[in-house]
Amino acid sequence: MFRYSFELAMHGLRRFPRTTLLAVLTVALGLATSMTTLALLHMLSADPLPGRGQHLYLAWVDTVQAKLADYPSLNGVTAKNYRRIKLADAQTLLQAHRATQQAALAGLDADVSTADGDHVQQGQSLLGTTSEFVPMFGVALRYGRSWSAAEDDARAPVAVIDVDLAQKLFGTGNVVGRSIRLDQTVFRVIGVSAPFAPQPHFYGLDRWAFSGSDLENVFVPYTAALDAGLMPGSADGCDASTKGHGSLFDVDPADCAWLGYWVQLDTPRQVADYRGYLDHYATQQPALEGRTRQKAQLHSVSEWLTQQNVVPDNARMNVWLAGSFLLLCMVNVAGLLTAKFLRRSAEIGIRRALGAPRGAVFMQHVLEATVVSALGGVLALPLTLLGLWILRMQDQGFTDLARLDPVMFGGLFVLALAVGVLVGVLPAWRASTVEPGLQVKST
Amino acid sequence: MQLRPILSTLRRHKLTASLLLLQVAFTCAIVCNVVFMVVQRIERVSVPSGIAEAELSIIHSSGFAGDDNPQARQATDLAALRAIRGVRSAVAVSSALPLSRSDSSYGICPDASSMKRAMQQRSPAGTGCLQPSMYDGTAGLIETFGLRLVAGRDFTPDDYVIGDAHKPPVVIITRALAQRLYPGQNPLGKSIYLDNAMIRVVGVVDRLLRPSLRTPAVDGDSMIWPQKPDRPWVTYVLRSAPEDRARILREGRAALLAASPNRLVNPERMEPYTEMRARFFQRDTTMIGLLVAAGLGLLFVTALGIAGLANFWVQQRARSIGIRRAIGATRGDILRYFQTENFLIVGGGIVLGILLAFVLNMVLMQHYELPRLPLFYLPVGALMLWLLGQFAVLSPALRAAAVPPVVAVRSA
Repeated sequence: MFRYSFELAMHGLRRFPRTTLLAVLTVALGLATSMTTLALLHMLSADPLPGRGQHLYLAWVDTVQAKLADYPSLNGVTAKNYRRIKLADAQTLLQAHRATQQAALAGLDADVSTADGDHVQQGQSLLGTTSEFVPMFGVALRYGRSWSAAEDDARAPVAVIDVDLAQKLFGTGNVVGRSIRLDQTVFRVIGVSAPFAPQPHFYGLDRWAFSGSDLENVFVPYTAALDAGLMPGSADGCDASTKGHGSLFDVDPADCAWLGYWVQLDTPRQVADYRGYLDHYATQQPALEGRTRQKAQLHSVSEWLTQQNVVPDNARMNVWLAGSFLLLCMVNVAGLLTAKFLRRSAEIGIRRALGAPRGAVFMQHVLEATVVSALGGVLALPLTLLGLWILRMQDQGFTDLARLDPVMFGGLFVLALAVGVLVGVLPAWRASTVEPGLQVKST
Repeated sequence: MQLRPILSTLRRHKLTASLLLLQVAFTCAIVCNVVFMVVQRIERVSVPSGIAEAELSIIHSSGFAGDDNPQARQATDLAALRAIRGVRSAVAVSSALPLSRSDSSYGICPDASSMKRAMQQRSPAGTGCLQPSMYDGTAGLIETFGLRLVAGRDFTPDDYVIGDAHKPPVVIITRALAQRLYPGQNPLGKSIYLDNAMIRVVGVVDRLLRPSLRTPAVDGDSMIWPQKPDRPWVTYVLRSAPEDRARILREGRAALLAASPNRLVNPERMEPYTEMRARFFQRDTTMIGLLVAAGLGLLFVTALGIAGLANFWVQQRARSIGIRRAIGATRGDILRYFQTENFLIVGGGIVLGILLAFVLNMVLMQHYELPRLPLFYLPVGALMLWLLGQFAVLSPALRAAAVPPVVAVRSA
C-alpha cells in the first residue's frame, strides 16, 4: 500500500510542474535561512573548552563590606556583576586548596616591550593568575614551563607569553629565558604558549565575550603584576571603608572584588563538598546589618554563560527572523499544495469511488508533500553553505564560528522531513474529504 | 461591484483563502517591525559626530620607548605635514577620536558639594557627577576637527600643558555636557572638579561625539583639554579637501619617515576618517542589510504565493469565467473581479496582521529594547501590502480576462 501511495505521489509531482517547482524553491529558501541561523546559534552556545569545560566552576563568596546599593551606574549604564572576589578571600581559598585544581584570575592591560625597549606592543591584554591556570584550562605550551606555586608565593616576576607575541617582539618563537618589560617592570619569560582564545571568553566576560582578534597573550602571577603596578580595570563592588585616594573610579586592589576564582571539580560529590565549604566560609564572614542576599555561589560554565546572557542578541534575533520566514514559507507551500490537490479532485473522486479508504488518499498526499519538502531540503544544503559563508564574511568576532557540523547536517534533513509532514497534513486532509460522488458526475 | 458573489466563491475555497490570509497577516506583522528596526538602526548609524568627517585623514605613528624628546619630534612632524600641498591644518592627538573606540573618560563633578557627596557614597549616582570622554591635542584642534565654538574662546598657547602628569587649568566642553552639568546656567567661568583639581570652563562647542557610544543621552558628553600628547606614539589628524586625502596619506607617511626614520608608520593604521567611522558601525550596517534582505524576502515569498494561487484559481475557474463572458461581462469586469477578490483577502490579512504587529512589537520591546511601534507604520504597511497584492494578482487577472467566452460551451 505504501509503495503504491508513493508511486502516486511521485506521479502527482509531475503534474503541474511549475507549481511543484515553486513549492520546492519556497521550502528550500525557508529551510536554508533557518538552518544558517540555527547553525550559528548552535556554535555560539557550544562548550568553550571541549573536554574540560564541564569540570570548571566559578566560585563566589560575597564578602564586600558595603551597603547593597545598586552597583555604580556610570553614564546611565548599570555595570554588570561578574561574581569576583576580594584579594584576601582569594588568598584564603587558594591556601585551603579544597578543589582538584583552582586558579584566581583577572584581566589586565599593559604595554609589552623587550627589555631594552627596542620593540613595543602597546595595549596588550594580560591575564594575572596563579600557577594552576595553565594546566587547569589546558593552555598548550610550546616551549618552557609555567610557574610553580612557590614562585606564586615568592611573587616572582615571571611570565608566559604566546608565540605570536614572541614573534613580534623578538622575531623568533623560543624566547625562554629572555626578559620583557610590562609597562616599566622587567619580567623573565619562562614559557611560550600557543595562542589561547576559547570562544566565548567565559572566564573574563568583563573584558570581552566573543572575539576573533582579542586574546590574552601574556600570563603572569597576579601578585607579581600588582607589584609591577598593573591595576585591574574594573571590580564588582568595594568595601565602604576604602580610603579612596586617587580618583573616584579607581579600583583599590586590597578592598575591591576584582579576582575571578575558578575551580576544577571532577565528581558530583566534589561539587557538593565544595559548595558546602563555600557556604561555610561565607557564614564565617562578619555580617552586615540588613543583608539578606545569598552568600556563596558555585556556577558551572554553562550556567554561567546562560546567566550572563553571552549569546549576542543579534544571533538570537536572526534565529527568530529565520523561523518566522520558515513559517511563512510553510504556509505558502501549504496553500499551493491545497490548490494543487483540489485541482485533481476528479482523480481523487474516482479513486475513492473505486474503493480507496480516506487514509490511503491522505497518505498519498502527505507523501507528496514530504517529497516536495525533501527535495527542498536537498536544495537547501548548498544554500545553507552559501548563507554560512556570507555570515563568515561579516567580521563580527563570533561569526567565524558559522560552520555546519555533522549534527546540524543531519538536523537539516530531519527538519525538512518534519516540515514536509506538517505542511502536508492540512492539504492532504482536505483532499481526503473530497466527496467521490460529486466528482464522478460530469463536471 | 457586487461583493456577494466574490464572498460566496471564496467560501467554497475556505482553506486556500484562509492560508493566503494568514500569509499576508504574518508578512504584515513582521515587515512592519522589521522596517521599524531598520529605521532605528539607520538613525544610530547616521549620528553626526560634529567634526568635518569628509575632510580628515589619520596617520598613526609609533616611536620607541627609548625616545627622549617626543615634543621636538612632534614639532618637526607637524611642520613636515603642514608643508604638504593640500593640507589645510594638522594636529597631533594621543589616540582619542570620535568613534575610534579608544576612550579615556574621567569622573568630574560640577561643584565641590557634589564632589564631596560622590566621594562619601563611593558612587556618582544621584550627585550630578558625570564621566565624559576627554580629547587632548596640540594647538589648532578645534579648527582642524571643524568644530563650531558657540560660546567662549579657543585655547591660548599659555593654556597648554605637556603630557598627562599635570592637569591643564582650562577646558572646553560640549553643549550637551554643559546642559547636564549646569542646567540652565552659563557654563563659562565655572569650575569643574576632577580628582583634586579645579578646571575652568572657557569655551563651549556645539557637538562632539565620544570615541565609544553608549546611550544616546550620554553620547555627546565630551571635553577638550589643552594637553599636548607626550608619548612615543601619536596620531596625526590632517584636514584637507576630500579628493586629496589618498595622496596626502601617502605623502604624509613619506614625510614622517623622512623626518625621522626611527619609527613605525604602519600603512594599515592610516586611513581617511570615514573608514574609521564605517568600521565602528560595521555590525549595525550588516544588521541593517540583513533586516532589509529579510523584509524583501518575506514580501517576495508572499507575492509569489498570491500570484501562484491566483494563477491556479484562474485555471480552475476557466469555465465559470467563460460563462460570465458569454452572458455579457466585459474583460474589464473580469479583471476587476479578480482584483477585488484579492483586495478582500489581503484586507482581511492586514486586519489580522496589524494586531499581530502590535503583539510582536511588545515582545520585541521586552527582549530587544525596541521602542514602541509608532502608529503611522500601520497604514503605511497596509497600503504597501495592498499594492503588493494588486501587483501580484495583475498577471493572473489579465490572463483570466483573456479567457474567451467560447470556453463556456466547450465541454471540459
